[in-house]
Amino acid sequence: MSSATNSRRGITAAWRISGWSTLIFAVGAIVAFFFLHRFVSHEIQRRSDAWLLGEVEVLGDVAERTPKGILYDRIVDEIAELATKEVPTESQNTQNPNDAVFFLELGPDNSLKLWVGKGNSSDYLTPIRAAAIRPGIPGNISVVGAPIPFRIVADKTEAGDTIYLGLSEHNNRLLLRRMRVYFFSSGATIVLLGFILVFVTSRRTLARVEAVTDIAARIGQNDLKSRVPEVDGNDEIARLARTVNGMLDRIEKSVNQLHTITDSLAHDLRSPMTAIRGKLEMVLLADTNGQWSDPLGSAVEEIDRLTELLTKSLDVAEANADALRLRRQHLDLNALLRTIVDLYEPSLTDRGIRVDLYSTGPATIFADSALMHRMLANLLDNAGKHLPAGSKVTFRLSSSAGQILLIVDDDGPGFPPETLSHLFERFVKGPHSKGTGLGLAFVEAVVRAHDGQITAANRTPQGASFTITLPASSV
Amino acid sequence: MRLLVVEDDVQNRRFLEKTLTESGYEVSLAPTAAAAERVFRSAVNLSAVILDLGLPDEDGLSLITRLKQQGLRAPVLILSARRSVDDRVRGLETGGDDYLVKPFAAPELLARLRNLIRRNSPPVDNVTVLQVLDLRLDLLRREATRGDEKLQLTTHEFSLLEFLCRNAGRIVSRSMILDQVWGMRIEPDTNVVDVHIYRLRGKVETRGSEPLIRTIRGVGYVLRDK
Repeated sequence: MSSATNSRRGITAAWRISGWSTLIFAVGAIVAFFFLHRFVSHEIQRRSDAWLLGEVEVLGDVAERTPKGILYDRIVDEIAELATKEVPTESQNTQNPNDAVFFLELGPDNSLKLWVGKGNSSDYLTPIRAAAIRPGIPGNISVVGAPIPFRIVADKTEAGDTIYLGLSEHNNRLLLRRMRVYFFSSGATIVLLGFILVFVTSRRTLARVEAVTDIAARIGQNDLKSRVPEVDGNDEIARLARTVNGMLDRIEKSVNQLHTITDSLAHDLRSPMTAIRGKLEMVLLADTNGQWSDPLGSAVEEIDRLTELLTKSLDVAEANADALRLRRQHLDLNALLRTIVDLYEPSLTDRGIRVDLYSTGPATIFADSALMHRMLANLLDNAGKHLPAGSKVTFRLSSSAGQILLIVDDDGPGFPPETLSHLFERFVKGPHSKGTGLGLAFVEAVVRAHDGQITAANRTPQGASFTITLPASSV
Repeated sequence: MRLLVVEDDVQNRRFLEKTLTESGYEVSLAPTAAAAERVFRSAVNLSAVILDLGLPDEDGLSLITRLKQQGLRAPVLILSARRSVDDRVRGLETGGDDYLVKPFAAPELLARLRNLIRRNSPPVDNVTVLQVLDLRLDLLRREATRGDEKLQLTTHEFSLLEFLCRNAGRIVSRSMILDQVWGMRIEPDTNVVDVHIYRLRGKVETRGSEPLIRTIRGVGYVLRDK
């Protein structure tokens, strides 16, 4: 389950990285294109302006030098025709040059002297007059009926005539549009390829990170031996893998050290206890008239209690370090709970406590049975010790969606508010508790070691409640 | 029946020797693994081995493995002072051996030892009826009678009485009862076993007569057989 979560996280990270880098790349490309576009369009404008200016000068010259007479119109007309043929256009085949260029001469009184071009001269005359083009400075005009504006320049002859030469922006626009199309199609391809490249690379990289994460996550209750497979090279992930492996070595060493310490502590304390217990027992059994049986018997019982206290506190210490040794097997919590409630029921009834068990049926978990036995025994001991006569404790076991839920409710006095927040800490006990303060810490430790959760709360109007969830066994 | 006891602690060795000799076993003692191996070579027929895991010269488990390779057939009762019993030791349990965590009660040691030796020897004819004084348990029909009177027992009460009957005249501890009757190795803080015994007494014992189940404070219970 955890590895599934990890791989989902990996995909998300890969998407995020590729998304962001693609976005940044695309924005950069658009900005670059914007400047390129500006530069190119300026350059095109400059060139067409230069051509227009040169051409209008030639035309002005011709118009000036040609004697005014019958041939004037014809000659200028011819020259203008010729000029229009020189239009720097790429689509001469498809377009009539007369569409692209016009020539206009006005007399000093603004009357039309000559018109070479397509369409009605008055369509052009009105916008030219409105635009008030000065000689030597190119300007733009829009003509009725022509979708694309014209670039025009003016020249003044010595005779006071004004010559206008107009060039359609059509070709420039076509060029720019073609550039945009090329740019956008190639840009989009590059961005898409970049996205795929970044995505695949980051997926592969993240998969290596995931392998490290999986190993690190697996290290826990049972597995201290796994290591990230040795990675060649010296990139960041190889270093991460080596660092994690080094850390795992240290964790394994300290957990083993903890086991050695707790084991040898247990050994050193237990051996003398065994000897004491043995001697007391020998005397107790030899004491046939029962003169000393009370003090001796209670001494033996005290030793047993001391042993259990030692066991429990070392278990809790190990569990707090997440180093509890588990021997897991599939077991039915329902059957186990029935047996143990059956075992405790007479003792609780004797104290005036009623115990009920409601279950929805088998609830298989993958757990250490010895620890589960002791965990449930602790819960029942806890009820027996803290509930007053006349109380009721209820165990409710149910399973749903891969979870086993055990709720233990009672109608006793509840937890003292000051202990509720740190109920599962070691040596925490209520003001009137006769316990060791380890029982609930042990319960919590066992539940946590089995990847479960436990919460405690007070009920209204009175009583205490434990809620334990454990992952159900997949078998 | 000869036993080999391997234990490095002098006090415990003495205690084990005394307890086992009193129960009629012949005991060979060995304080180290090397000594244990010598005894194993010279002893003709060992019925069982009692072994402390923490030996000064060798790990107890590797000693067992070695002795088994050399032809040890007798079952091994492992005494462990380690708190939570090692996986490897628990593994042995299934292989016909048993373990006991220190400190243990002498009756429990004896009971486990008897159990081990019985399991390891060829099966005797199956017992279907247990009779102790005027108490009679039919194991097939799971019926108990005292004299002529039939006893109304629950499943667990019957199992508890059966366990006491099988060990009649011998002391059984609370942890043995929990282990054998309920199948749990737990140490309850409360008097759960005592209450079961008390209830059983109420059903088994008749008013005025001498009690059948005796409590031995601090040690356990014994079902009187004479």
